Amino acid sequence: MIKVSNKDAENYYKIRIVMIVSFLVIAFTVSFGVALFAEFFSQFSFMGMPLHYYMGAQGSVLVFIVLLILNAVLNDRLDAKYGVDDSENERIVASSGRTLDE
Amino acid sequence: MDTQTLVSVGMILATFALYIVIAIYTRSKETSEFYVASRGIPPFWNGMAIGADWMSAASFIGMAGTVMILGYDGLPYIMGWTGGYLFLTFLLAPQLRKYGRFTVPEFIGDRFRSDTARVIGAVATCIISFTYLIGQLSGSGVVIGRLFAIPTWAGVLLGVGIIAIYATLGGMKGITWTQVAQYLILIIAYVIPIIFMSLQVTGNPLPWLTYGNVIDEIGAIDRELGLTEYFAPFSESTQSQFIALMFTLMLGTAALPHVIVRFYTVTTMKAARWSGAWALIFIGVLYLSAPAYAAFSRFILMTQVAGQPMDQLPAWVDRWVDTGLLSVADTDGDGILSWQEITVSQDMVVMATPEIANLGLFVIGLVAAGAMAAALSTAGGLLITISSSIAHDVYFRLLRPDASDKKRLKAGRIAIFLATIAAGLLALDPPGVITQIVAWAFAIAGGTFFPVLFLGVWWKRMNKQGAIAGMLIGLSTTLGYIFMAMNGFTLFGVGDTGAGIFSVPINLITCIVVSLMTKAPSQEIQEEVINLRYPEQMTYKDGEIWLDKEDNVQK
Repeated sequence: MIKVSNKDAENYYKIRIVMIVSFLVIAFTVSFGVALFAEFFSQFSFMGMPLHYYMGAQGSVLVFIVLLILNAVLNDRLDAKYGVDDSENERIVASSGRTLDE
Repeated sequence: MDTQTLVSVGMILATFALYIVIAIYTRSKETSEFYVASRGIPPFWNGMAIGADWMSAASFIGMAGTVMILGYDGLPYIMGWTGGYLFLTFLLAPQLRKYGRFTVPEFIGDRFRSDTARVIGAVATCIISFTYLIGQLSGSGVVIGRLFAIPTWAGVLLGVGIIAIYATLGGMKGITWTQVAQYLILIIAYVIPIIFMSLQVTGNPLPWLTYGNVIDEIGAIDRELGLTEYFAPFSESTQSQFIALMFTLMLGTAALPHVIVRFYTVTTMKAARWSGAWALIFIGVLYLSAPAYAAFSRFILMTQVAGQPMDQLPAWVDRWVDTGLLSVADTDGDGILSWQEITVSQDMVVMATPEIANLGLFVIGLVAAGAMAAALSTAGGLLITISSSIAHDVYFRLLRPDASDKKRLKAGRIAIFLATIAAGLLALDPPGVITQIVAWAFAIAGGTFFPVLFLGVWWKRMNKQGAIAGMLIGLSTTLGYIFMAMNGFTLFGVGDTGAGIFSVPINLITCIVVSLMTKAPSQEIQEEVINLRYPEQMTYKDGEIWLDKEDNVQK
C-alpha cells in the first residue's frame, strides 16, 4: 500500500468532476439547447436538411457517442497518470469477496 | 399459407432455434452466474448485449413510425433514448460497479442500511420491469398474430411460452450470449431495408448520408400540398412536451434497473465506462438509422403510392387495411388516392415498408425475425430483473438469508415463470399503445430511482430517510401525473409521457431536504461513498487515500 498525497487525491477527483460537467454541458447544448431554439436553427441547412432536424436525428447522437468514447479514453489516461493499473483493479475486485464466482 | 408467410415463419423459427441452442449451451449452474453472468463479459460483447437488452419492440417497431408521422416532434425518442447513456455512464455505472452489489434494490438497501428502502426498491423495480414487459409481449403478439393470421392474444401466448422457456433455462449468462446473437440479427434486419431503399431512391447505398436530400424533397411536396413541412418544429406537439419527453426518456434510461444490472457484469470501473461507450455505439446504429427509415418510407408512400388510381393500388394495401393499421379512402371521389387520404398507423411502418418498397420475400421475413428478436431480448432481460428482485432482494436478503444456492435459483425460476404468466395475461388486453406503455416505464424509473442512485453514489450526507421519502414521493408523483394527464389534466402542456420532468426534480429536492433534516449517516457509510470517487485500486481510509500495489514502484 502506498499513500496517495491528499493533493493528488483531490486533483484526481476534481479532474473527473470537471470532465463530467463539461461533457454534460456539451450534451445538453446539442440536444436541449438546439430544441429550445429550434426555430432559429431551422434557417440553416446541413447535409440537405434543416439544421435543427439534423441535430435531432443525427448530430446529437454522434456527439453523444464521441463524448462517451472521450470519457473512457481520458479516464484511462487519468488513471495511468495517477499510477492506477487496471489489472490490479481486476485482481482487487476478484479478491474482495464481492464476487461469488471464484 | 402463402409463400411470404412460410418464409417469414421459417426465418423466425430458425432464429429462435439459434437463441435456444445458445441458451442451453451456456446454461448456468451457479447463482451468481444466473444473475450477472460471472462479471467476466468483455466490454465489447457486454455493450452488444446491452444493445439487444435495450432495443425493444418500441425501438424496433415503433420508433421509425413515430418519427415518420410526427416529423421533428418524434425526435425526442432518438435523443432521449441515446442521451440517457451519458447520464448512466458518467454518473452512475462505474460507481455502482465499485460498490459491488448485484441489483438496484440491493444497492439501495445496503447503501442506506435499510430493509424498508430495499423493499421499496424491489417493488419499484418490479413495477418498472413489469410495465415495460407488457409492452414487449403485446408487441410480439402483434407480429406473431399478423404472421399466422391468428388473433393477437394467441400470438402473445406463443411469445410468452418461448420467452419463459429460455429465460428459465439460461439465466443471465445464457441471455448474454443469446442477446449478442439477437443484437446482430435485429440490427441486420433493420439496416438492410434502408440500404435497399436508399439504393432505390438515390442510387447510393449509404442511407445515413443520403436521407437529408429526401427530407428536403418531402418538405417540398408538403409545401406543394399546402401542409406543414415534415421537419417543421413543434407542429404536432408543444415545445414543452418535446423537452419534457426528452428529459423523461434520458433520466429514465439512466435509471432502468434491467439496464443498470448489465453494468454489474463487467469487472472494473474502467470496464463499465467502456461498456457504456460500446453500448451507445451499437445502439446508435439503430437510432441513426430510424430517421432514415422514416424518411424513405414517407417518401416512397408520398411519391409511389399517393397519386395512384384507386383501382390500381398494389396488393399489400389490402393486407394492411385488413389489420386496421392502414386506411385509404377516396374522400374527394376523384378516383385518385392522394397523400391526405392515406392514414398510416405508427406501428405498421417498419413492418410494412419492406413490402411497400417491394424488397422481396427474404428482407420481409428478416424484418419479422428482427422485430421478434427485439421484443424477446428485452423481455428476457426484464424477466431476469424481476426474478432477481424477488428471489435475491426479497427472498434471500430479507426472508431466508440462509437459503442455499439451489433454493435461491429455484425461487428465481419460479419468479420468472409467474411474472411471465402475469405480464402475458395483462398483454392480452394492453392498457395503452406500446410506445406509451414503454414511456411510462421510463417516467417511473427516472422519477423513482434516478435521484436516489445519483445522490447515493455522489453525496455522502444522503441517508435512508431521504432515500425512502424520495422514492415514495417520486413514485407517487409520477403515477399521479400519468393518471391525471390521461384524464385530461396537464401542466404547461406536458403530457403523460413527459411526467419525469416533474417527478425527477421533486424526488431530488425531497431526498436533499429530508436527508438534511435527519441524522447524518455513520462515518463508515460516508467513507464508503467517498471511496466511490476513486478506482478500485485506491482506498479511502480515515481521510487518506491508499494505492494498493503489490510491487513498490513509485509513480
